[in-house]
Amino acid sequence: MASVFTAPPLADNGPGYSFKQTPTTHISADGTRQHSFYPYTDNGGSTLGISGADFTILAGDTRSTSGYNINSRYVPKLFKIGGEGPEHTGSSIVLSVVGFAADGDALKERLDTVVKMYKYQHGKNMSVAACAQRLSHILYNKRFFPYYVHAILGGLDEEGKGALYSYDPVGSYEREQCRAAGAAASLIMPFLDNQVNYKNQYIPASGYGHDLQPRKAELLPRNTVEELVRDAFDSAVERHIEVGDGLQMMIITKDGIEEVYSPLKKD
Amino acid sequence: MEVLLGLTGKDFTLVASSKAAMRGVTILKATDDKTRELNKYNLMAFSGEAGDTVQFAEYVQANVQLYSMRNNSELGPAAVASFVRGELAKALRSRSPYTVNLLLGGFDPITQKPTLYWCDYLASLAQLPYAAHGYAQYYCLSTLDKHHHPDIDLEKGLKILRMCSDELKRRLPIDFKGLAVKIITKDGIREEDWVDDKQVLPA
Amino acid sequence: MVGKDCVAIACDLRLGLQALTVSNNFPKIFSYGDVYLGLTGLATDVSTVADLFRYKVNMYRLREERQISPQTMANLVSSSLYERRFGPYFVSPVIAGINHTTGKPFICGFDSIGCIDFAKDFIVSGTASDQLFGTCEGLWEPDLGPEDLFETVSQALLNAVDRDALSGWGAHVYIIEKDKVTKRLLKGRQD
Repeated sequence: MASVFTAPPLADNGPGYSFKQTPTTHISADGTRQHSFYPYTDNGGSTLGISGADFTILAGDTRSTSGYNINSRYVPKLFKIGGEGPEHTGSSIVLSVVGFAADGDALKERLDTVVKMYKYQHGKNMSVAACAQRLSHILYNKRFFPYYVHAILGGLDEEGKGALYSYDPVGSYEREQCRAAGAAASLIMPFLDNQVNYKNQYIPASGYGHDLQPRKAELLPRNTVEELVRDAFDSAVERHIEVGDGLQMMIITKDGIEEVYSPLKKD
Repeated sequence: MEVLLGLTGKDFTLVASSKAAMRGVTILKATDDKTRELNKYNLMAFSGEAGDTVQFAEYVQANVQLYSMRNNSELGPAAVASFVRGELAKALRSRSPYTVNLLLGGFDPITQKPTLYWCDYLASLAQLPYAAHGYAQYYCLSTLDKHHHPDIDLEKGLKILRMCSDELKRRLPIDFKGLAVKIITKDGIREEDWVDDKQVLPA
Repeated sequence: MVGKDCVAIACDLRLGLQALTVSNNFPKIFSYGDVYLGLTGLATDVSTVADLFRYKVNMYRLREERQISPQTMANLVSSSLYERRFGPYFVSPVIAGINHTTGKPFICGFDSIGCIDFAKDFIVSGTASDQLFGTCEGLWEPDLGPEDLFETVSQALLNAVDRDALSGWGAHVYIIEKDKVTKRLLKGRQD
């Protein structure tokens, strides 16, 4: 384990550690020593969320990496928020975080506490919209020492429709139909554009040139979304070394949160 | 702050270059001609490092003319562009590369079509309907995007060029001493009497 | 991209210097008889390498009095790039074609110094390579016919370049069959 802190990074920005994290000691001319270390690590992995008419699905792989090492094959990136006790009984909001796992954990703990306190103080569950805005504030509060994570929040809105919010590390957020985050986001996102929002798809023979009608995006049924999520992750695992081992999915419906785990390739 | 602009129309190619010869912030000359006629239908405008530009342009000019003497035929615009790019690419990977950006304005006497080639100092070559080098890219390409059409006549072409020239005068912090404008048509290359004394002020 | 008795190769049309778009009609696929070569990277080297291989393949044709096969072309590209091991051309080429002796489709890719990547399914290259890996891996399946292959390769390319700020502005798609090559121009987003 000590080697993690003493071994030099393979290259700046190249393969190896995603951040220069080795503690360094700089000795200046007058003999004073300055110790420093980089406080972030990239733990790899990817997450993905898609919302439907009456459900939201969040998914994430369970591999945790640092550089070329695999720390663990089962570190969840999906967390239930709110509900009763440590098991989050009755919860209906899910947070997914990818990036620096320690920050992800800390963020989840804070949001969970906030949502639980809300229930104790107001005697009712926090809406996803409120929770989403609160998460944005939590992230922005650390604007100058950010939580190094790309967060996605999922639940059901007040009309019972699927709700999905995605965030940057400093709290800029947006409600969306679908979003991929993390190491393989650049691989998954264009696939989702095509298969969820039907981007670049047209209705055949519906017009010539600019009159050609684009295929309208519709809310997808649950089993279709589940298949898409699997396909997206199977593809990502094939081409990204930081993604793999297991796929954790949480499906939020009016009946609560269903959790499904299925294996991914471990190579 | 050297300006090179070029645009093609229905039956002509316009090439404009700034008249200021600069060294640092000092203007050495206000009637500089940054173009060379390669042959009857091909004109090359150049900008870049002081010594390289004229050296390279005249080297190309001499070789294009040598070719005509040896083979008793003129090189067309595509051939000229390809030759120029080849020479620049060869120089790029030698010990003394030329730091020269080029616009090659031409008129193909066989197809009777106007042509314009854009070539930077890395020898990236592209045939374009309109082109610019240096700061003119940032200030003029949007104007050209909006107003250019392949079928425009010379009058409209000059009008668009005037819009570009006005925008440059409005926005550039250093006076580039106006433009020298050349027109290439089926009759060959001629210089346009370009009036540049009107002052243009920013809003 | 490989299909059943056919291959496809496609490119976008943008030429840019960082964020500035210089040209929106700059094809990156070049034909050498039966073999097609796609080139991404530094624009000047794209032209230089394309011209270099036009010369080399023409010389091959004159010497051998036959067309070059995709496999031979692959080795020619590889050795030509490795010749410049310590001052490389900044390109990552892709080859697609059908071998007319065996009748089998062939594709491969290279790094800038000529290491060949033989793939059975697809090869991607360029600034949108991450995105292309995602779309190709998600959309491709074995034994696609020419029409399905066209749709697959087009969707893979268009959706990938739409998520890359440095690519796009339409596309060229070649579908290569034993006795026929179809070239299509796709419109794509203009932003």
